[in-house]
Amino acid sequence: MNFNFEINWALLAPLIVIQAILLIIALFDLVKTEKTNGPKWMWVLIVLLIATFGPILYFVIGKKRD
Amino acid sequence: MKKWFVLHRKEWLEMTLNYKIIWIPLIFVLFGLMQPITSYYMPEILKNASNLPEGSIIQIPMPTSGEVLTQTMGQFNQIGVLVLVLAFMGIVSSERRSGMIKAILVKPVSYPSYITSKWMSVVLLSAGSVFLGMLASWYYTVLLIGDFPFIDMVKGTLIYFIWILFIVTFTVFLSSFLKSSGFVAAFTLVLSILLSLLTSLFEKWMEWSPAQLTNAAASLFMAGDIEGPLLLPLITTVILTALFLYLATSRKSSV
Repeated sequence: MNFNFEINWALLAPLIVIQAILLIIALFDLVKTEKTNGPKWMWVLIVLLIATFGPILYFVIGKKRD
Repeated sequence: MKKWFVLHRKEWLEMTLNYKIIWIPLIFVLFGLMQPITSYYMPEILKNASNLPEGSIIQIPMPTSGEVLTQTMGQFNQIGVLVLVLAFMGIVSSERRSGMIKAILVKPVSYPSYITSKWMSVVLLSAGSVFLGMLASWYYTVLLIGDFPFIDMVKGTLIYFIWILFIVTFTVFLSSFLKSSGFVAAFTLVLSILLSLLTSLFEKWMEWSPAQLTNAAASLFMAGDIEGPLLLPLITTVILTALFLYLATSRKSSV
């Protein structure tokens, strides 16, 4: 897609920062945790590849509750 | 009372350890920010994304500030409620399953204070998340779309939060009764969807419904004052919330 309008990055910066924080916390937690619902590598891929919803999905259904 | 605070602190420690204290508010802020930004860029996005013939003009009126805030509330009602319910579905039931509840209740701690300390932590975290999210949304709306009185945003959010309070209390209540966290989430989500749906379908007979609070908040955002019922749904919601909390604390057998 070819966007021919200026994107104001200062406007989007908070969104990017929040997504980055979510991603880092999710990855950090994935490294520390022993077991997840389903294979761990799958969750790493989900967190890394699905923007915004990847980390959210991991937090709400990926973490194993004993 | 001192014991209650010890239990309450344990809840916060747990929410810190599994990062709930960070990611739940962040998700609300993220969706709060996203709504005004999407509204602001929507005309440009449509202009670029659609394969319209050259020269065709699409007129999309810029939404008013109140409409953007109402849309944010709609987002919170879908993704926000989903996140809260899924995050807190196991708050009692998973401790029951893992046997943790026995380890806690052998100490001189009463079951009601055990439940209310959990409930209070859930309520405070969801209140913080909803308010931060609405604040973020309001800030960006004022910057991008147009001015909106701060006090109206706070009032609307307060009314809306009573509905969230009802939902999370119901989650804690079910979690204290059911063994499976999955059922807790499923039943709570079905209840919230059914209530919202029935309320919008049969408005005449559902004036008492807790979901009316969302409509009241929406009309405050859009029109500046509340049209339609407010007191009646407020009373029923508070009564139902108190009832579910009482029922949650009253289960003593088969700990």
